[in-house]
Amino acid sequence: MRVFTVVFYTIVLILIGISMVLFSLALTFNFLDIESISKILGYIHSNMNIRIILGGSGLALVLISISFAQVVLGRFQREKTIAFSTASGEVTIALSAIEDLLKHFIFILPEIKELKPDVIAGKKGILVNLRVVLKSEANLPELTARLQEMTRSKIQEVLGVEEEIITRIHIAKIISRDEKDKKRKELEKEETTIPFGGYGRA
Amino acid sequence: MLDRQDSRTDLGIIRIHKNAIASITSIAASEIEGVSFLGESFRFSWWLLLRKKKACSIRVEIDKNQELKITIPLVVKYGFNIPDIASSVQENVRQALENSTNLTLKDIDIVVKGVKKD
Repeated sequence: MRVFTVVFYTIVLILIGISMVLFSLALTFNFLDIESISKILGYIHSNMNIRIILGGSGLALVLISISFAQVVLGRFQREKTIAFSTASGEVTIALSAIEDLLKHFIFILPEIKELKPDVIAGKKGILVNLRVVLKSEANLPELTARLQEMTRSKIQEVLGVEEEIITRIHIAKIISRDEKDKKRKELEKEETTIPFGGYGRA
Repeated sequence: MLDRQDSRTDLGIIRIHKNAIASITSIAASEIEGVSFLGESFRFSWWLLLRKKKACSIRVEIDKNQELKITIPLVVKYGFNIPDIASSVQENVRQALENSTNLTLKDIDIVVKGVKKD
Protein backbone atom coordinates (compact mmCIF):
# COMPACT_ATOMS: atom_id res chain seq x y z
CA MET A 1 0.00 0.00 0.00
CA ARG A 2 2.80 2.38 0.97
CA VAL A 3 4.79 1.61 -2.19
CA PHE A 4 1.67 2.07 -4.31
CA THR A 5 0.96 5.47 -2.71
CA VAL A 6 4.54 6.67 -3.22
CA VAL A 7 4.65 5.48 -6.87
CA PHE A 8 1.22 6.95 -7.63
CA TYR A 9 2.04 10.29 -6.07
CA THR A 10 5.40 10.43 -7.86
CA ILE A 11 3.65 9.80 -11.21
CA VAL A 12 1.06 12.51 -10.45
CA LEU A 13 3.80 15.02 -9.56
CA ILE A 14 5.77 14.15 -12.71
CA LEU A 15 2.64 14.60 -14.86
CA ILE A 16 1.88 17.97 -13.24
CA GLY A 17 5.51 19.03 -13.81
CA ILE A 18 5.53 17.91 -17.47
CA SER A 19 2.21 19.66 -18.17
CA MET A 20 3.56 22.91 -16.65
CA VAL A 21 6.71 22.69 -18.79
CA LEU A 22 4.64 22.00 -21.93
CA PHE A 23 2.27 24.87 -21.08
CA SER A 24 5.17 27.30 -20.68
CA LEU A 25 6.79 26.07 -23.96
CA ALA A 26 3.47 26.39 -25.80
CA LEU A 27 3.11 29.99 -24.58
CA THR A 28 6.73 30.79 -25.49
CA PHE A 29 6.52 29.45 -29.06
CA ASN A 30 2.97 30.76 -29.64
CA PHE A 31 1.38 27.33 -29.97
CA LEU A 32 -1.26 28.51 -27.52
CA ASP A 33 -2.78 31.96 -27.71
CA ILE A 34 -4.88 33.84 -25.16
CA GLU A 35 -8.08 33.27 -27.11
CA SER A 36 -7.80 29.50 -27.04
CA ILE A 37 -7.05 29.61 -23.28
CA SER A 38 -10.15 31.75 -22.71
CA LYS A 39 -12.13 29.33 -24.90
CA ILE A 40 -11.02 26.38 -22.73
CA LEU A 41 -11.88 28.30 -19.55
CA GLY A 42 -15.22 29.29 -21.02
CA TYR A 43 -15.95 25.67 -21.89
CA ILE A 44 -15.13 24.57 -18.32
CA HIS A 45 -17.33 27.40 -16.99
CA SER A 46 -20.29 26.38 -19.10
CA ASN A 47 -20.04 22.58 -18.68
CA MET A 48 -21.23 21.21 -15.33
CA ASN A 49 -19.71 17.73 -15.81
CA ILE A 50 -16.22 19.08 -16.44
CA ARG A 51 -16.46 21.25 -13.33
CA ILE A 52 -17.43 18.18 -11.28
CA ILE A 53 -14.52 16.17 -12.75
CA LEU A 54 -12.13 19.05 -12.02
CA GLY A 55 -13.35 19.40 -8.42
CA GLY A 56 -13.25 15.62 -7.89
CA SER A 57 -9.68 15.43 -9.20
CA GLY A 58 -8.65 18.21 -6.84
CA LEU A 59 -10.26 16.44 -3.89
CA ALA A 60 -8.58 13.15 -4.85
CA LEU A 61 -5.21 14.93 -5.01
CA VAL A 62 -5.76 16.41 -1.53
CA LEU A 63 -6.61 12.96 -0.11
CA ILE A 64 -3.60 11.36 -1.80
CA SER A 65 -1.40 14.17 -0.42
CA ILE A 66 -2.64 13.44 3.11
CA SER A 67 -1.95 9.71 2.76
CA PHE A 68 1.47 10.47 1.25
CA ALA A 69 2.30 12.73 4.21
CA GLN A 70 1.25 9.93 6.56
CA VAL A 71 3.50 7.46 4.73
CA VAL A 72 6.46 9.83 4.99
CA LEU A 73 5.77 10.67 8.64
CA GLY A 74 5.32 6.99 9.42
CA ARG A 75 8.72 6.25 7.94
CA PHE A 76 10.32 8.86 10.17
CA GLN A 77 8.41 7.63 13.18
CA ARG A 78 9.40 3.99 12.76
CA GLU A 79 10.88 3.43 16.16
CA LYS A 80 13.84 1.32 17.08
CA THR A 81 13.47 -1.38 19.65
CA ILE A 82 15.23 -4.03 21.70
CA ALA A 83 13.55 -7.43 21.48
CA PHE A 84 13.80 -10.73 23.30
CA SER A 85 11.67 -13.85 23.26
CA THR A 86 9.83 -15.61 26.05
CA ALA A 87 7.90 -18.88 26.04
CA SER A 88 4.64 -17.03 25.31
CA GLY A 89 5.90 -14.71 22.58
CA GLU A 90 8.14 -11.78 21.84
CA VAL A 91 8.80 -8.75 24.05
CA THR A 92 9.80 -5.56 22.29
CA ILE A 93 11.02 -2.54 24.23
CA ALA A 94 11.07 0.82 22.47
CA LEU A 95 14.31 2.72 22.92
CA SER A 96 12.18 5.74 23.79
CA ALA A 97 10.94 3.73 26.79
CA ILE A 98 14.54 3.41 28.01
CA GLU A 99 14.97 7.14 27.45
CA ASP A 100 11.87 7.75 29.62
CA LEU A 101 13.42 5.55 32.27
CA LEU A 102 16.69 7.50 32.31
CA LYS A 103 14.90 10.84 32.46
CA HIS A 104 13.84 9.95 36.01
CA PHE A 105 17.46 10.26 37.21
CA ILE A 106 16.75 13.96 37.46
CA PHE A 107 14.59 13.22 40.51
CA ILE A 108 17.26 11.01 42.10
CA LEU A 109 20.32 13.19 41.56
CA PRO A 110 19.70 16.74 42.83
CA GLU A 111 22.87 18.03 41.11
CA ILE A 112 21.27 17.54 37.69
CA LYS A 113 19.14 20.37 36.36
CA GLU A 114 18.28 18.93 32.94
CA LEU A 115 18.86 15.53 31.34
CA LYS A 116 18.29 14.52 27.71
CA PRO A 117 19.03 10.85 27.01
CA ASP A 118 19.51 9.31 23.58
CA VAL A 119 19.67 5.52 23.40
CA ILE A 120 21.10 3.66 20.40
CA ALA A 121 21.08 -0.12 20.11
CA GLY A 122 23.94 -1.43 18.01
CA LYS A 123 25.77 -4.69 17.36
CA LYS A 124 28.29 -3.98 20.13
CA GLY A 125 25.63 -3.25 22.71
CA ILE A 126 23.54 -0.36 23.98
CA LEU A 127 24.98 3.11 23.58
CA VAL A 128 23.55 5.77 25.87
CA ASN A 129 24.26 9.43 25.22
CA LEU A 130 23.34 11.69 28.10
CA ARG A 131 23.23 15.45 27.63
CA VAL A 132 23.12 17.08 31.03
CA VAL A 133 22.86 20.53 32.53
CA LEU A 134 24.38 20.63 36.01
CA LYS A 135 24.16 22.84 39.04
CA SER A 136 27.40 24.50 40.11
CA GLU A 137 27.87 22.61 43.35
CA ALA A 138 28.31 19.29 41.50
CA ASN A 139 31.60 17.41 41.65
CA LEU A 140 32.02 16.46 38.01
CA PRO A 141 34.27 13.35 38.09
CA GLU A 142 32.32 11.86 40.97
CA LEU A 143 28.91 12.75 39.55
CA THR A 144 29.61 11.53 36.01
CA ALA A 145 31.03 8.24 37.31
CA ARG A 146 27.94 7.80 39.50
CA LEU A 147 25.65 8.65 36.59
CA GLN A 148 27.38 6.14 34.30
CA GLU A 149 27.18 3.44 36.93
CA MET A 150 23.51 4.22 37.65
CA THR A 151 22.67 4.14 33.94
CA ARG A 152 24.36 0.79 33.45
CA SER A 153 22.85 -0.83 36.53
CA LYS A 154 19.37 0.60 35.91
CA ILE A 155 19.21 -0.63 32.31
CA GLN A 156 20.53 -4.06 33.29
CA GLU A 157 18.17 -4.27 36.27
CA VAL A 158 15.03 -3.08 34.54
CA LEU A 159 15.52 -4.67 31.14
CA GLY A 160 17.28 -7.79 32.30
CA VAL A 161 19.76 -7.55 29.42
CA GLU A 162 23.37 -8.58 29.80
CA GLU A 163 24.67 -6.69 26.79
CA GLU A 164 27.43 -4.14 27.14
CA ILE A 165 26.14 -0.67 28.00
CA ILE A 166 28.31 2.26 26.99
CA THR A 167 27.35 5.57 28.56
CA ARG A 168 28.60 8.83 27.10
CA ILE A 169 27.97 11.98 29.09
CA HIS A 170 27.99 15.41 27.56
CA ILE A 171 27.81 18.28 30.01
CA ALA A 172 26.11 21.00 28.02
CA LYS A 173 25.97 23.65 30.71
CA ILE A 174 26.84 24.31 34.32
CA ILE A 175 24.54 26.77 35.98
CA SER A 176 26.46 28.95 38.39
CA ARG A 177 25.16 30.26 41.69
CA ASP A 178 25.29 33.87 40.37
CA GLU A 179 23.09 32.90 37.43
CA LYS A 180 20.61 31.31 39.80
CA ASP A 181 20.59 34.38 42.08
CA LYS A 182 20.07 36.65 39.06
CA LYS A 183 17.10 34.61 37.94
CA ARG A 184 15.66 34.63 41.45
CA LYS A 185 16.06 38.43 41.66
CA GLU A 186 14.43 38.85 38.26
CA LEU A 187 11.51 36.74 39.38
CA GLU A 188 11.20 38.76 42.59
CA LYS A 189 11.18 41.98 40.56
CA GLU A 190 8.50 40.63 38.26
CA GLU A 191 6.25 39.80 41.18
CA THR A 192 4.21 42.95 41.69
CA THR A 193 3.47 44.02 45.23
CA ILE A 194 -0.21 44.15 46.05
CA PRO A 195 -1.18 47.32 47.93
CA PHE A 196 -2.45 46.59 51.44
CA GLY A 197 -1.59 42.92 50.76
CA GLY A 198 -0.43 42.40 54.33
CA TYR A 199 -3.78 43.27 55.85
CA GLY A 200 -6.06 40.35 56.45
CA ARG A 201 -9.52 40.07 57.85
CA ALA A 202 -9.61 39.18 61.46
CA MET B 1 -7.07 -12.36 7.71
CA LEU B 2 -10.18 -13.44 9.60
CA ASP B 3 -12.23 -11.00 11.66
CA ARG B 4 -13.50 -13.46 14.20
CA GLN B 5 -12.85 -16.86 15.68
CA ASP B 6 -15.46 -19.50 14.84
CA SER B 7 -16.22 -22.73 16.66
CA ARG B 8 -19.03 -25.15 15.89
CA THR B 9 -21.32 -26.81 18.45
CA ASP B 10 -24.29 -29.17 17.99
CA LEU B 11 -26.61 -26.17 18.03
CA GLY B 12 -24.69 -23.90 15.69
CA ILE B 13 -21.64 -21.71 15.29
CA ILE B 14 -20.11 -19.59 18.07
CA ARG B 15 -18.28 -16.58 16.77
CA ILE B 16 -15.97 -14.47 18.91
CA HIS B 17 -15.12 -11.13 17.40
CA LYS B 18 -11.59 -9.72 17.51
CA ASN B 19 -12.83 -6.81 19.63
CA ALA B 20 -14.05 -9.21 22.33
CA ILE B 21 -10.62 -10.87 22.39
CA ALA B 22 -8.98 -7.43 22.54
CA SER B 23 -11.22 -6.42 25.46
CA ILE B 24 -10.39 -9.56 27.48
CA THR B 25 -6.70 -8.98 26.71
CA SER B 26 -6.93 -5.35 27.78
CA ILE B 27 -8.57 -6.22 31.13
CA ALA B 28 -6.13 -9.06 31.84
CA ALA B 29 -3.09 -6.92 31.01
CA SER B 30 -4.29 -3.98 33.13
CA GLU B 31 -4.58 -6.26 36.16
CA ILE B 32 -0.81 -6.64 36.37
CA GLU B 33 0.92 -4.33 38.82
CA GLY B 34 3.46 -2.23 37.02
CA VAL B 35 1.38 -1.68 33.90
CA SER B 36 0.64 2.04 33.69
CA PHE B 37 -1.70 1.92 30.70
CA LEU B 38 -2.22 0.11 27.42
CA GLY B 39 -1.58 1.77 24.09
CA GLU B 40 0.84 4.20 22.55
CA SER B 41 3.01 6.42 24.71
CA PHE B 42 2.63 9.27 22.23
CA ARG B 43 2.44 9.07 18.51
CA PHE B 44 0.98 11.34 15.91
CA SER B 45 -1.89 9.66 14.14
CA TRP B 46 -4.73 10.73 11.89
CA TRP B 47 -6.98 8.66 14.17
CA LEU B 48 -6.09 11.03 17.02
CA LEU B 49 -7.04 13.99 14.86
CA LEU B 50 -10.34 12.34 13.99
CA ARG B 51 -10.77 11.49 17.68
CA LYS B 52 -11.27 7.82 16.91
CA LYS B 53 -9.46 5.52 19.28
CA LYS B 54 -8.78 1.97 18.17
CA ALA B 55 -9.54 -0.52 20.99
CA CYS B 56 -6.44 0.31 23.09
CA SER B 57 -4.26 -0.41 20.02
CA ILE B 58 -4.21 -4.14 20.81
CA ARG B 59 -3.71 -6.05 17.57
CA VAL B 60 -5.46 -9.38 17.25
CA GLU B 61 -4.57 -11.60 14.28
CA ILE B 62 -6.25 -14.92 13.50
CA ASP B 63 -4.52 -17.07 10.91
CA LYS B 64 -5.97 -19.76 8.65
CA ASN B 65 -5.31 -22.46 11.26
CA GLN B 66 -7.55 -20.50 13.67
CA GLU B 67 -4.53 -19.64 15.83
CA LEU B 68 -4.34 -16.32 17.60
CA LYS B 69 -1.51 -13.84 17.64
CA ILE B 70 -1.92 -10.87 19.95
CA THR B 71 0.29 -7.78 20.09
CA ILE B 72 -0.08 -5.63 23.21
CA PRO B 73 1.49 -2.18 23.33
CA LEU B 74 1.90 -0.92 26.88
CA VAL B 75 3.52 1.72 29.03
CA VAL B 76 5.04 0.49 32.29
CA LYS B 77 5.42 2.22 35.63
CA TYR B 78 8.85 3.47 36.62
CA GLY B 79 10.73 1.20 39.03
CA PHE B 80 9.38 -2.13 37.84
CA ASN B 81 11.35 -4.81 36.04
CA ILE B 82 10.20 -4.76 32.41
CA PRO B 83 10.85 -8.45 31.54
CA ASP B 84 8.99 -9.53 34.70
CA ILE B 85 6.01 -7.32 33.86
CA ALA B 86 6.02 -8.52 30.25
CA SER B 87 6.02 -12.20 31.20
CA SER B 88 3.33 -11.61 33.88
CA VAL B 89 1.15 -9.87 31.26
CA GLN B 90 1.72 -12.72 28.79
CA GLU B 91 0.81 -15.33 31.39
CA ASN B 92 -2.27 -13.46 32.67
CA VAL B 93 -3.56 -12.81 29.15
CA ARG B 94 -3.01 -16.44 28.18
CA GLN B 95 -4.91 -17.64 31.26
CA ALA B 96 -7.74 -15.16 30.79
CA LEU B 97 -8.22 -16.04 27.13
CA GLU B 98 -7.99 -19.77 27.69
CA ASN B 99 -10.47 -19.60 30.58
CA SER B 100 -13.02 -17.45 28.83
CA THR B 101 -12.77 -18.49 25.18
CA ASN B 102 -10.97 -21.87 24.89
CA LEU B 103 -8.98 -20.42 22.00
CA THR B 104 -5.61 -21.69 20.82
CA LEU B 105 -2.98 -19.03 21.37
CA LYS B 106 0.06 -18.92 19.17
CA ASP B 107 1.88 -15.80 20.35
CA ILE B 108 1.36 -12.97 22.81
CA ASP B 109 3.77 -10.23 21.83
CA ILE B 110 4.43 -7.33 24.16
CA VAL B 111 5.67 -3.96 22.95
CA VAL B 112 6.85 -1.68 25.75
CA LYS B 113 6.25 1.82 24.40
CA GLY B 114 7.31 3.88 27.37
CA VAL B 115 7.98 4.26 31.08
CA LYS B 116 5.84 6.51 33.24
CA LYS B 117 6.20 7.69 36.80
CA ASP B 118 2.83 7.72 38.59
